[in-house]
Amino acid sequence: MLRASLASAIGLSTALAAGWIVFPRVLYQRQSQPVEFRHQTHAAKSGTAQCTACHVLREDGEFAGLPSIESCAGCHAEPMGTTKAEATLVADFVKPHREMPWLVYSRQPANVRFSHAIHVRRAGLECKECHAGRGESDALGPYRQNRISGYSVSLLTMSQCESCHRDRHVEAGCLGCHE
Amino acid sequence: MNPTRRDLLAWSGGAIAGLILTPVPWKLLGDSAKWTQNWPWIPQPARGPVEVKQTACALCAKGCGIRVRMAAGAPVGLAGAATHPVSDGALCPLAFGAHQLNWHPQRLRQVLHRGHPASWQDAVAAFRKAVAEGPVAVVDGRPGRAASAVLEAFAKQHGSYHAVATREEQSLAPYAEWSGVPTAALGYDFANVSTLVSFGAPLLDGWGTPGSFARRWSRRQVRLIQIEPELSRTAACAWRWVAIRPGSDAALAAGIARTMPLEAAAQQSGLTPDAIEELTRTIVAEGPVLAMSADAQPAVAALNLALGGSVVQRREYAAPRVPLAGSHRGILIDSTVPWEYEPQASGEVFRFAAWSGGGSHADWLLPAPGFLEELTDVPSAPASAIATYALAAPLMKPGHPVSSAVEFVGASIEEAIRARCERISRDGAGRLYRPGEREPVALAGLKLEEELMAGAVWVDNPKNTKIVRCKLKNWPSEVGRSEARRSWTANWAPPVLPPLAAKLFQESNLRERPEGSLV
Repeated sequence: MLRASLASAIGLSTALAAGWIVFPRVLYQRQSQPVEFRHQTHAAKSGTAQCTACHVLREDGEFAGLPSIESCAGCHAEPMGTTKAEATLVADFVKPHREMPWLVYSRQPANVRFSHAIHVRRAGLECKECHAGRGESDALGPYRQNRISGYSVSLLTMSQCESCHRDRHVEAGCLGCHE
Repeated sequence: MNPTRRDLLAWSGGAIAGLILTPVPWKLLGDSAKWTQNWPWIPQPARGPVEVKQTACALCAKGCGIRVRMAAGAPVGLAGAATHPVSDGALCPLAFGAHQLNWHPQRLRQVLHRGHPASWQDAVAAFRKAVAEGPVAVVDGRPGRAASAVLEAFAKQHGSYHAVATREEQSLAPYAEWSGVPTAALGYDFANVSTLVSFGAPLLDGWGTPGSFARRWSRRQVRLIQIEPELSRTAACAWRWVAIRPGSDAALAAGIARTMPLEAAAQQSGLTPDAIEELTRTIVAEGPVLAMSADAQPAVAALNLALGGSVVQRREYAAPRVPLAGSHRGILIDSTVPWEYEPQASGEVFRFAAWSGGGSHADWLLPAPGFLEELTDVPSAPASAIATYALAAPLMKPGHPVSSAVEFVGASIEEAIRARCERISRDGAGRLYRPGEREPVALAGLKLEEELMAGAVWVDNPKNTKIVRCKLKNWPSEVGRSEARRSWTANWAPPVLPPLAAKLFQESNLRERPEGSLV
């Protein structure tokens, strides 16, 4: 009896360890950005900590996309240091005018529409409330992609959207986000 | 110590219990569901520049304003245009999902000759032969359009032109008979009504111009008294529902007007004499009053006149509604004709349709452009009190060869649209409602066709709408036809109805209630 209990306990522990420690590491594939980008360094050197200085919203308030390589070329027309990332940026992207293939942590699935205009302008949300303070860190960190669904681990889930809307007493039907 | 089989079973039991306490099973379940969303054969909206365009919905003749959200040049979402003078921001559930209709399984993608695949060349040759042998009848479902003018001109050369009257027009038919004004130019002035007595008209289910009426109703600007045997969706939402016996509309109307003894009206309608008296007092308590029916009911029209209600005449080109009959060599049916329509005449039938509802007796089924796949104009909605004009721009490209009836007869509508725009501009009357702007602008100096293509709507000067004078000498003896009441879904259920329609209907503003909640 003692021996069976011991075997069960070992099985339980093994499953718990595998489920809580091993499984998340196996489930998510780690990918690196084309170059390591430092938000804090850029904010300090440009003298502005405003996200919208680079992540522009259009006139109607919608997100206009990531900064183009032209924005980078404004300062990085020539290497500004001796790091490998700097050399890669200038040689592989700035000089050949090739857009950076950034891995977007919060890119929504194709069947979801997220309106920055409504959330930023009308609701007055700060960027960090959804983007987890990524702009305040000095390392982007690895992009972790779910091997099964193909989505980023940092993606906002529908339950998170619903929870926030519920807390703020804001109604949103299916068509508010899905098309 | 060697592990035994018993140890292995105990370990497995512990492991299974442990797994349930980890995120593994739940995460795998959720991620597998998401994985199925991205199978390669499942269509995905394109990623690309996002823009919003305003245009008119051409699914039916109402011409509601729609805002089309386009990604990479393809529509991915529809919403009502908030400042649209016709629909006032409301949309029916079908329109909310209409950009997906073009991929509906029932989409007609190939020419069919008596149920068998055929080519466009075969269809054109057969039609030319029919035209040569003549006569050919053309049936139009939405007269008054530029396409209608082209088809009418073709029909006058080669045969005859016929139009299918809408249900709204049918309800106005008695007034046309008493006033001499064509039904196509008649309308109800809902904007100036305080009490609306509806004999079965599904006013909150797509009848007439639903948006503007639903808005007035939701703002408690009108009392809706719904008189019909069934608790329809409109009856359920009405200020008051009066249940009567099927087919007793005319008797109750006569009873309210006191042209029939109360006892007789009560016996036929299933109400008590006291109930009819009380109903009459309620109706006249708050005017102006308008009484109307779902279809041709002379008694209800007469009651409306007796209550001081009226109908109006708007400035409208009114093609005569001549029903199709007799024998023709060929019958060309435009895609605007409801699917349920079957010609009561003999001849080789060439029927255009974007979606096939099945069970058609047409000799030729010809694929027509689907939603937002062709340029078309949208004249005044049936039973509208004021003349309007808008254009529905082509925002999508068909995925297979299609043709409109106009193209099939070798013509185009661009010239007819241009001519109508020039006529409106020359006349100078009315105002233009631009997308997103509440206040209309005058026409002077504007390029009307370009403005309409960009989503603007022309609305005639209200002074050009006149109250119609009717000559009714005797109470109509003929009891009107009382067809089975049908909702908006009935028109679309046979051909196409998106699965999400019911859900979308709940989310549409069409059925906003005075309390502010949605039904």
